[in-house]
Amino acid sequence: MSKKKYTKDHEWVSIENEIATIGISNHAQESLGDIVFIELPSVGKSVKAKDEICVVESVKAASDIYAPIDGEIIEVNNNLENDAAIINQDAENEGWIFKMKISDSNQYSELMSEDEYKQFLEQ
Amino acid sequence: MPINYKTGIINEHKNVRNHSGIFDVSHMGQILIENNESYLHKLEKYIPLQLKKLIKNRSHYSFLLNKDGGVIDDLIISNIDIKDKSYLYIVYNASRKKEDEEIFISCAPNAEKIYNKNCLFAIQGPDSINVLKNIIDIPNNMNFFDILISKYNNNEIIVSRSGYTGEDGFELSIPNESAENFITNLLKNENTMLCGLGSRDSLRLEAGLSLYGHELNEKITPIEAGLSWALDKERLEDENLNGNKVLRDQLKNKLSNKKIGLISTSKSMLRDGMTLFDNNNNQIGKITSGCFSPNLNKSIAIGYIISEFDTDNPIFCEIRKKLELVKINNLPFVKKNYKKNGSVYE
Repeated sequence: MSKKKYTKDHEWVSIENEIATIGISNHAQESLGDIVFIELPSVGKSVKAKDEICVVESVKAASDIYAPIDGEIIEVNNNLENDAAIINQDAENEGWIFKMKISDSNQYSELMSEDEYKQFLEQ
Repeated sequence: MPINYKTGIINEHKNVRNHSGIFDVSHMGQILIENNESYLHKLEKYIPLQLKKLIKNRSHYSFLLNKDGGVIDDLIISNIDIKDKSYLYIVYNASRKKEDEEIFISCAPNAEKIYNKNCLFAIQGPDSINVLKNIIDIPNNMNFFDILISKYNNNEIIVSRSGYTGEDGFELSIPNESAENFITNLLKNENTMLCGLGSRDSLRLEAGLSLYGHELNEKITPIEAGLSWALDKERLEDENLNGNKVLRDQLKNKLSNKKIGLISTSKSMLRDGMTLFDNNNNQIGKITSGCFSPNLNKSIAIGYIISEFDTDNPIFCEIRKKLELVKINNLPFVKKNYKKNGSVYE
């Protein structure tokens, strides 16, 4: 699997064989607090980067999740339907939210590396 | 006061319901007003209680009312002696300090704000009596809304059996110099923990308690907010009381709005400001507070709907542009667990 990259909207993306796996960063999970519900996206939907894809509801607020790059949603993490708190426990592995077939891998290379994301958080 | 401490809102919430939790509510207003007839008479223009008849060492939930009977603030008012002098001790909302203090000072020019020298802590939950008893003396016959002066580190502290969670508990006004030591001692008990604003909100919402700025504001009277039990009915006949005519009329006639409790039927969260509709898409009301209820494992809310709406009919809430069915639930959502109450007047 490729190195993880991050968006300014606090999502992480990793890519393997043109399939991107997306979730929210550990930092995002910490600031949202206890996550109680996630409205998962529809499989088969074609989306553009920055489109609102789905919503994460925590005890504090509802927070939109955006598509990090163009592509088609091909799988969602159904485990989150019953237990959205998995995102709190393991945001960047077991707490993945959806997978996309991506159409433009250049968009992926433009995202932030882990170090760049850390710097972004410190700003 | 943070939204939450390390373990998060839900864990703090459950710890209060099952054991106990400590809230630092030092941001709230605390004032001492000399128990003097002329001051009390002036205050009775705003406060719908017979202030001269308040029983010593008892607290009362009440309001400051504006000319139209709207709520300037909701507050807890107690009659206590400190160093042989009789006072009204009033605890009021931080967000309303300016408005409230203008009234307090106009009625009693020597009223003494004490929140700069005294911290205010709440310990809430079924175990709070045991946690607190390790540190200060609490008489066994102390009931909910009783208040007394106790000692900690040779300082006088104000202890009331009260709170904002629906659980048994205490609120303690403690001189700043002893505050840190007091909290450190309480936290030696492994089953208690510091709790933040997030769990304070979900606990009070489950208990069906109103929050100023949400269920209460200057345009809502205590009667419209379903709090007429807190009004002294004799005082409503008194022309000196702000809004007395409005309040009398409201007690006799039908109100335009009613307060309701709501439970989500899906996993979506109900939140402040969301709009409520009937099954013909007519707007019938709004949510004023909403949260995730750890006890019910669903989202709950308090809101106002028009009185003529028949609550046997379905209600829908607009959540992210979709209408979702919500169910009416009597308030409170979670049964209150207070130590028995006494009477209000001598």
